[in-house]
Amino acid sequence: MLEIKPKPAVAAPQTHNRIRVLSLLVVDGQNTLTKISGVIRRRGFHVRGISVGPSRQPGHSRITLQIDHGHAEADQVRKQLERLVEVVEVEDLTGDDVHNRELVVATVAASELDALLKRGAKVLSTGSDGTTVEFSGDADQVADFVNELARHGIIDVVRSGPVVMRKSE
Amino acid sequence: MILEALEREGVEYIFGYPGGANLPIYQHLHEHPKLKHILVRHEQGAAHMADGYARACGKPGVVFATSGPGALNLVTGLCTAYMDSVPMIAITGQVVSTQVGRDAFQESDVIGATSSVTKHSYLVTKIDQLPRVIHEAFHIATTGRPGPVLIDICKDVQQADAERVNTEYLEIPGYKLNGHVNLDGARQAAQALAGAERPVILAGHGVLLSHAERELMQLAEAAAAPVGTTLLGIGAFPVKHPLSLHMTGFMGTGWCLKAVQNADVLMMVGMRVDDRVTAKLSEFAPNVKTFIHVDIDESEMGKNVRPHIELVADARLALEAMVPQVTKVDAGRAKWLGQIDKWREEHPLRYRQSNGQLQPQDVLIDMYKRARSEAIIVADVGQNQIWAALWWNYDRPGLFINSGGSGTMGFALPAALGAKFGRPDLPVWCVAGEGGFVMTAQELSVAVEHQLDVKIVLLNNRSLGMVRQFQDDFYGGVRSQVDLTHMPDFVKLCEAYGLPALRVEKFEDIAPSFDAAERTKGPFLIDFRIDPEANVYPIVPLGKGLGEFREAPEYA
Ligand SMILES: Cc1ncc(C[n+]2csc(CCOP(=O)(O)OP(=O)(O)O)c2C)c(N)n1
Ligand SMILES: [Mg+2]
Repeated sequence: MLEIKPKPAVAAPQTHNRIRVLSLLVVDGQNTLTKISGVIRRRGFHVRGISVGPSRQPGHSRITLQIDHGHAEADQVRKQLERLVEVVEVEDLTGDDVHNRELVVATVAASELDALLKRGAKVLSTGSDGTTVEFSGDADQVADFVNELARHGIIDVVRSGPVVMRKSE
Repeated sequence: MILEALEREGVEYIFGYPGGANLPIYQHLHEHPKLKHILVRHEQGAAHMADGYARACGKPGVVFATSGPGALNLVTGLCTAYMDSVPMIAITGQVVSTQVGRDAFQESDVIGATSSVTKHSYLVTKIDQLPRVIHEAFHIATTGRPGPVLIDICKDVQQADAERVNTEYLEIPGYKLNGHVNLDGARQAAQALAGAERPVILAGHGVLLSHAERELMQLAEAAAAPVGTTLLGIGAFPVKHPLSLHMTGFMGTGWCLKAVQNADVLMMVGMRVDDRVTAKLSEFAPNVKTFIHVDIDESEMGKNVRPHIELVADARLALEAMVPQVTKVDAGRAKWLGQIDKWREEHPLRYRQSNGQLQPQDVLIDMYKRARSEAIIVADVGQNQIWAALWWNYDRPGLFINSGGSGTMGFALPAALGAKFGRPDLPVWCVAGEGGFVMTAQELSVAVEHQLDVKIVLLNNRSLGMVRQFQDDFYGGVRSQVDLTHMPDFVKLCEAYGLPALRVEKFEDIAPSFDAAERTKGPFLIDFRIDPEANVYPIVPLGKGLGEFREAPEYA
C-alpha cells in the first residue's frame, strides 16, 4: 500500500543533519570514480568521507560515502548515483545500526606511548624518529584519539575514510 | 567490425566527419552500402542532425567524429540531446591506446568532457570489449529514459577484428529499468484526479517518448481534467481539444497558468518540472493539495517538487493503469472547466497587428494554414521558438521539434535536415531567428547536396530578440550587445550556397512567398523581415511566480 504523506510541495532542504551514509557496489573501471565524483559535484553534494576497496564480487568495488546532500532532498544522493550505469547498487545506511570504522596511523615520540596504548592503539614499528601506532574505531573514537595525539605532539598522522557495515541481527 | 555492428543494430544514417583518429572506420565505409553517411560541415551539425533524425523517426541518431577537436565539437549537441532525453550514439575516434595519456596529437579526454552530457559513455582500449559495448550502447540509449551514449574508440581498436557478440544476451547489472506500475499508486492517482475539484494534468516529453498520447486523452476525458503541455510535450495533447490548456511554463498561455495556479490536484506526467515550468518554485501551483508525479526516472521524484503520489514508471503504462480506475468525477467539475473557459477568453493569445510591420504571428498563421497537421516544425531558440510553439495548433505528436532543456541556438537547421532524413514522407519546416541560424548555417551545403526538401523560415528581427526583450522588460531597458544589423544578405548567402531564397517585408507577400516555397522542390529559404520590436507574450518576469505573467498590451 502506497502511503500518501502530505509534505511541503517545494523540495525543501533540511538544515540539520544533511549527511547521508551510503554503501555503493560499483563496477571496476577507468571511468567509475570520475563519473561518481562528477555526479556529486554537479548535483551540489559534498563528500565528507570516502573509502574504496575491493568487494567480494570479482570486478566490483565497494565504496563507502559520507555525503552532504546540500540543498537537494536527502534521497536524491542515492537516486542520482543509481542512475550511473557503473553503479550496481546503492545502500543508504543513514541512521541504521552500523559498524562504522575508521583507521588512523600516527608516529609519535616513544615517550608518549603509554596513554595511547591504554586507548587501544597498536604499535606497528619503532624507529629512531619515533614509534608508529595504529588505532581504529568509530568516527568519534578516532577523533578523540587524534585529539589525544595532538596533546602529545604528533610527528605524522594519516586517517582513512570510513568503512560502514550494517550490524547483523 | 564497427560498421558491421551498426548494420546489425539497424542503423540507416550516420552523420559524421572524418579525421586522423577515425580513418580506419572511414576506410571501410564504402563496403557497407546500407549505411548512408552524411558528411556534415561541422561536428555540432552532425550531433543536431542525428538529434533531429531521432526525434522525427524515433530511431537512435548515430554520429561519427574524430578525436580532440572533432569530438569536442559534439559537446553542445550531446548536451542538447541529453537534456531532452533523445537517443543518440556518438562514436568518436581516440588516439592509439598506447598513446593515451601522453598528450598525443589531437588527444583529449573525451569521456571527461562529455560524461556530464551523456547518459553513459565508454572508452574502448581493447578490441574484445567492442562488440559488447556497441550493443550495450544502443540498448542504453534507447531504453528507459533515452539519452546519448558516447563510445570513444582507440584508433588501434578500430583496425582490429573481433568475434561477433551474441546480441540476445545482455547483462548490465548497473542499468535498471523502471517499467512496472505500482497499481495501488495508479488507483490513488486516478481517484485523486477524478475526485479533485480543480484538477490539471501537465504532460511532458515523456508522454511523447512512451507514445502515451492515446492513454493521456483517455484519462483526461474520463476524469474531465484539462491538460497543458510543456514546451517539449507539445503534441502530446491536441491544442484544439476542449480540455487543452495549450502550453504551460513561464511563457505558457494565460489560461493554462491560471489553471495551474488554482488547481487543487496537479498531475505531472513525463516531465522534469524544471524552473522554466515552475517559475519561482515557492509560488508554483500554491493551491495544490496533491501533487502526482509520473516519470520513468526515479531521480525526478522530489528533485524540484515533492509529489504526494509518485509513480516511477513508463508514462504509457502508468496512464493505461489509471484509466480504468477513474470512478466518480467530482460534481464541481463543470464549474472548473467553465472557469477555465472564462480565463481562455480573458487571457487570449494576441499580438500587434496594425503598425504596418510584418508580424511573426502572421507568418506562422499562414504557414499553419498550409501545413495543417502534416508538417514537422523544427524551431530554433529565442522568440522564434516560443512563437512557433504558441501560434500553431499542434494536434498530433512528433510535429514540433526544438531544443527545450538546453536551449541551443543553432539547433534548428541541422535538426530539420536530420528530421527530413528520418521522415522523408513529411514536409519539414525550419523556423529560426537570424542569430541562431548563422551559428550552424554552414549545414545549408548538406541541404543542397542532398536536395532536402526543407523550407527555412527566418524570423529576422535584426537582433537577439529574446535577449533584447529580457533587457527591455527585466534589465532596465538597457539594450546591450543585441543588435544584429550587420548580418549577411540572406538571399545572396543562399545563392552562394546554391539554394533559392526570397526576402519578405510586407504582409501581402507572405502568401506568395510560401506559394513559391511550396512550388520549389528542395531547400528554400524565406527571410522574413519582421517587426524588430515584436515580443513574446505572455511572459513571467524572471524570479516571479507563474501567477504574475505579463500579457501583450492591448492593441487597437
Ligand atoms: C548557443 C547559445 N548562445 C546564447 C544563447 C542565449 N540566447 C537565448 S535566445 C537568444 C537570442 C536569439 O536570437 P535569434 O536567434 O535572432 O532569435 P530571436 O530571439 O531574435 O527570435 C540568445 C542569445 C543561447 N540560447 N544559445
Ligand atoms: Mg533575431
